[in-house]
Amino acid sequence: MNDQILGVQGVSKSFGRHTVLDEVTFGVRAGSIHALVGENGAGKSTLMNILGGALHPDSGTVTLDGRPAAFADPSAAIRAGIGTVHQEFGLFPNRSVAQNIFAGREPAGRAGFIRWRALGRQAQAILSEIGVDLAPSAPVATLSVAAQQMVEIAKALSLRPRVLILDEPTSALSDHEAQRLFRLLADLKSRGVAIIYISHRLSDVRQIADEISVLRDGRLVGRTTREASPDDLVSMMVGRHIESITPSRRTQLGAEIFKVEGLTRHGVFADVSFGVREGEILGLAGLVGSGRTEVARAIFGADRLDAGRIWLDGRALAIGSPRQAIASGIGYLTEDRKALGLFLAMTVRDNIVAASMPALVSQAGMLRPRAIRAESARYVQRLDIRPADDRVEARTLSGGNQQKVLLAKWLSVAPRVLIVDEPTRGVDVAAKDGIHRHLSELADAGMALVLISSDLPEVLGLSDRIGVFRQGRLVTILDGATATQEDIMRHASA
Amino acid sequence: MVLVVSGLLALAEPRFLNASNLVSVGTGMIYDLPVAAGMTLVLALGGIDLSVGAIIGLTSVVTAMYLRSGGSVVLAVPIALAAAGGAGALNGLLVARFRVAPFLVTLGTMSIARGTATVLTSGYYLSGLPPAYIEIGRGQLLGVPYPVFVVLGVVVVFDVLLRRWKPLHDAYYAGTNPPAALLSGIDVGRLVFAGYVASALAAGLSAVFMTSRLAMGYARFGELAELRAIAAAVLGGASFSGGTGSILGAALGVLLLAVISNGFVLLKLSVYWQGVVSGLILVVAIAVDASRRRRNESR
Repeated sequence: MNDQILGVQGVSKSFGRHTVLDEVTFGVRAGSIHALVGENGAGKSTLMNILGGALHPDSGTVTLDGRPAAFADPSAAIRAGIGTVHQEFGLFPNRSVAQNIFAGREPAGRAGFIRWRALGRQAQAILSEIGVDLAPSAPVATLSVAAQQMVEIAKALSLRPRVLILDEPTSALSDHEAQRLFRLLADLKSRGVAIIYISHRLSDVRQIADEISVLRDGRLVGRTTREASPDDLVSMMVGRHIESITPSRRTQLGAEIFKVEGLTRHGVFADVSFGVREGEILGLAGLVGSGRTEVARAIFGADRLDAGRIWLDGRALAIGSPRQAIASGIGYLTEDRKALGLFLAMTVRDNIVAASMPALVSQAGMLRPRAIRAESARYVQRLDIRPADDRVEARTLSGGNQQKVLLAKWLSVAPRVLIVDEPTRGVDVAAKDGIHRHLSELADAGMALVLISSDLPEVLGLSDRIGVFRQGRLVTILDGATATQEDIMRHASA
Repeated sequence: MVLVVSGLLALAEPRFLNASNLVSVGTGMIYDLPVAAGMTLVLALGGIDLSVGAIIGLTSVVTAMYLRSGGSVVLAVPIALAAAGGAGALNGLLVARFRVAPFLVTLGTMSIARGTATVLTSGYYLSGLPPAYIEIGRGQLLGVPYPVFVVLGVVVVFDVLLRRWKPLHDAYYAGTNPPAALLSGIDVGRLVFAGYVASALAAGLSAVFMTSRLAMGYARFGELAELRAIAAAVLGGASFSGGTGSILGAALGVLLLAVISNGFVLLKLSVYWQGVVSGLILVVAIAVDASRRRRNESR
């Protein structure tokens, strides 16, 4: 491995008594893509932080161009030509796209005044280069999550890195957008950039990676190529064999209990109509920004509807707020678990009962601590939330367990209709499998489910029918048993 | 902490433990306790209320003017609370409905309330209040002034409600993550509005007792009350990031401030130092809160 640019040799790292990395050796060559896969908590982020200079190893060395290198801090790593794109964005929401790309490095005149026109021009050049159609002057806060992701990538690329490290870059992207990112990565690779690609999505990894390394519990347990089968990769990651990634469902559907007709929010979505039967999972597929989340939020009363009607159990509903939606029997599990879902500074117990509290108080409205404790314990056990102690703050849980807490919150409400929005985004394989099983069980128990997901195997594996959104319209509804990924993509991006 | 300071003070000046001194420490707290309780609720909701001190001044003046124009003593208290509540409603409306930053809104109402009170009185005391009204604050039951019972009742009930009563307990959710609370079916706007009204009503209660016990209306009553209330609430576990705090904790915070201030009197230090010390305590409490938050976030 003479042409290895960046690597680690026998690196170990512990936090307190907890060993996160154990004698890991790993590296990436110029002009290749090396994928790093593993469950949450396997040590991927720690390794990434060591490579990017944010953490120092307890033992072992970081090598750059074959020589030992110790980065004092992230800016030293950046100067050495290492660009990182984190899963959690480090963007300034109120600043423009251009200002974010060049944050702290704006072109300036001699007196230090920023040369705005040059800034816009340079930003535009980078955006065009990576094929992203964004206005450099747009404030980042107004962009979709996918667009923000592209800004983050543009920012890393503006430094002309020799090594690019990406952490879960597609978790917020639709399939279409992910493909565009892959083309960009292939292009960078052909120009000699070394790319470290960290992901849970095995289909992504198998599509683009030249090499695949698997981390489990802080150890490098395997190195393979993209020819490895998904089953092999999964069993390497979890250390056991998981039968199938998504369970195929046996369905006995009841009557149509939930129906929406002509839902419209000007400029966002128009004339959306669908129904869901008891025990049915209706998948909603489409590109990010096609209006699926917006429709869900409007049904749930979080955003205003300009037109349209909603029925549940044959009754027309007038929903003006999430509070009314919940009282009517509708639940909505948000796609943005940290910003809109969890109360991170509160306990797991507080989170689980946050929406079901009205059922856990006396007639006078006084909390019943014993009932609350029992309710929370029930779902911690049922969903196997770890740690099993529900008095810890939600922020301390892994992504997968946080997602289970959100699901528990809605199970505790027991709505007639539950809309789940990207229920397994950024979640490890085992937790994903668990969430899929629980969603199936809920449907089997007679709940009507609407599943919004950009993960096509997930939509195909779980849904009885699949509605496809394109530019704010529900363009078709496919039969889940016969639909293919190609069918969905054709309708979503035609 | 309260015990440590009290212990030190008792050693330095044995008169601290005199029954009459302890009663005077207790009575001295009746103005700050309700205000600190209201402030705790507002802080738990992720806001701040800088206008409470000024609302005390305005309420005092309004009450005294009403009484001096021949108004009835029975109606004086509801009118005082209505005046205070009105100011709180203005705060709540601007924060909850029009989404203006609480710091700015209450800074504005603080200036408006204090200014109005000063204009109404040209800066003079309004004395000559009816004896029946003065009796509200000075009257005693078993040797203890009436307001002590009222304030203790308010604190205890408020404490239980914030901990156990769902409509108020929701404040912790709303303060921790407002959009998530909204999606959990909590009417965040209404709760925030109610929080500012409650805070102002607490200030109004404080104003009633102050006006009555001191037998006059004065525009400068309640100066720096907001500062002491914030210090007490933060000492009691409230945080500027919202979602925490308890009324009982805030009450202990008030007690600490009262003991320290009593120490100044007993040790014959200038009362002018009290402002310096309250400010110092506030700054220290805020620094502790900030480091607590940093520790949490780095986990």
